[in-house]
Amino acid sequence: MELYGIFEWIYGLLADTGLPEPWLTFVVYLGLGVVIFGTLSVLALFLVWWERKIAGHIQQRFGPMRTGWHGWYQTIMDAVKLLQKEDIRVTTRDKAVFFWAPVVCFVAAYLAYVVIPFGENLWVADLNVGILYIIAVTTLTVISLLMAGWGSNNKYALLGGMRSAAQVVSYEVPMAVSILTIIVFSGSLSMVDIANSQQGNVIFNWFIFKPPFGIIAFLTYITAATAEANRTPFDIPEAEQELVAGYNVEYSGMKFAMFFLAEFVNLFTVSAIATTLFLGAWHGPLLPSWIWFLLKTFGMVLLLMLFRWTFPRLRVDQLMEFAWKFLVPLTFANLILAGWMKYAGWHW
Amino acid sequence: MGVLKDFFNLVKGMTITGKHLGRHAVTIQYPEQKMEMFERSRGVVVLLSDKETGELNCTMCMLCMRACPTAAIQIDAPRDENKKRVLNSFVIDNTLCCYCGLCEEACNFCAIKMAPLYEFSTWNKDDLVWDVKKLQEMGRDVPYEDTRKKKPAAADKPAAEKKPAAAANPGADAKPAAPEAKPAAPEAKPAAPEAKPAAPTEKPEETKDEAAPSKAEPSDDDKKGDV
Repeated sequence: MELYGIFEWIYGLLADTGLPEPWLTFVVYLGLGVVIFGTLSVLALFLVWWERKIAGHIQQRFGPMRTGWHGWYQTIMDAVKLLQKEDIRVTTRDKAVFFWAPVVCFVAAYLAYVVIPFGENLWVADLNVGILYIIAVTTLTVISLLMAGWGSNNKYALLGGMRSAAQVVSYEVPMAVSILTIIVFSGSLSMVDIANSQQGNVIFNWFIFKPPFGIIAFLTYITAATAEANRTPFDIPEAEQELVAGYNVEYSGMKFAMFFLAEFVNLFTVSAIATTLFLGAWHGPLLPSWIWFLLKTFGMVLLLMLFRWTFPRLRVDQLMEFAWKFLVPLTFANLILAGWMKYAGWHW
Repeated sequence: MGVLKDFFNLVKGMTITGKHLGRHAVTIQYPEQKMEMFERSRGVVVLLSDKETGELNCTMCMLCMRACPTAAIQIDAPRDENKKRVLNSFVIDNTLCCYCGLCEEACNFCAIKMAPLYEFSTWNKDDLVWDVKKLQEMGRDVPYEDTRKKKPAAADKPAAEKKPAAAANPGADAKPAAPEAKPAAPEAKPAAPEAKPAAPTEKPEETKDEAAPSKAEPSDDDKKGDV
């Protein structure tokens, strides 16, 4: 039932072929990249469908129903449609920036999966600065949004890009500080070490169950992560009523699809990070580790989707006020108190 | 404490949306599922038929045609040599109909009604102009309350006699009998059910009453002139 067995078997097969060393590593990591890229792309399509179903049912509708059982391949058909669409390019655009923005967005969304552990022994690389790496690469998204806004040469797109930059930079601080609280608990920056330090005691070793710091860090992380993923109630970079569509207003066809997919990959990323840091990663009784990981992550995704269809959007000034006047002091106080408790050796 | 209160409000909102998530959708999946229409819903206009004889209730009094604000109803029913109306055509142009229901209100004989039917779209606009056959066919299964005064048993006889006479107009042929029977009713009713032989004797009375619909005729022609 453990997935890593399959990977080990395939690795054994590859090693038996007698490839010389640099090439063996290259082939292995290329294969892993393809597997993760494929899985996550399919997953993002599935998440779009899931989001539409949930939005529908919250509003007493069905959502997509026409394509397959309860419209399960609706987003696949949407992707096919977008692939066929004409790639409309504004004549006044900044050519290079306009072209590379969706690529950067797409790549940045997938970079975090290098260090995310999907289950026991199921990760691409165990970096000793894993969580730091994630914080660094997820911030790359903001550069792509700013590029899209600037390259489009459109006032709405530029406003969306600027808002996005302001928002993500602001919420990066409370997010990093609430992650630091977890690092205080685990004593390591490696994602695998963080996951392993939550092992045992059924579920009560999860960092979310370290009152009160764990739960406060979890709530602040979720808030900041929602802002990071540009989702409602923090979706002012793409506020439809104010900015048409925000940074992606001039994009069409495949480039738009890349932005769209990256958005949902980001949603899964923040949920996976929350699972690893607060919800005990792959640890859980009875079921195989990767199933536990996916269950928890999908639970987090569901929570974020409920956020989106429950809360109204914040105004720009409210957004900044909330980040700097509430979240930052709260997370810093939380971090300092947690560190003090840890230093004093009061374990609970 | 304000923070806790706000947080509680957020949780409250989440529980509400969560509850709605669990409920069943109210959407009706149209081509597969259909909404049951109310009996009095104002759908397409049809002609009603008698529940027993299956013949049109229409007496060709032209009231609906005159009531129609968009001239969607066109009736051609000239009088024959016996001064009985013969239905040549009864056409409703559904592209003109505005579903106001004035024709149904004007009708005194439960002959025209807005049926709870709504599926009559076509590829061809001309198919929306319905003749009497189509109108009768559409109104065949439409439930309605028969508020007409009951025909006395005597009236059946002349109606039955008339049938073969006007065989040329199927569907409409029985109708000339109806105006005959109706005016007879007030006289026949007090005369008890044994009035059977009385009906023929009262023929002069009938013709007197028959004059009433004929009064409408000049204005009919006025209307035609307008159109």
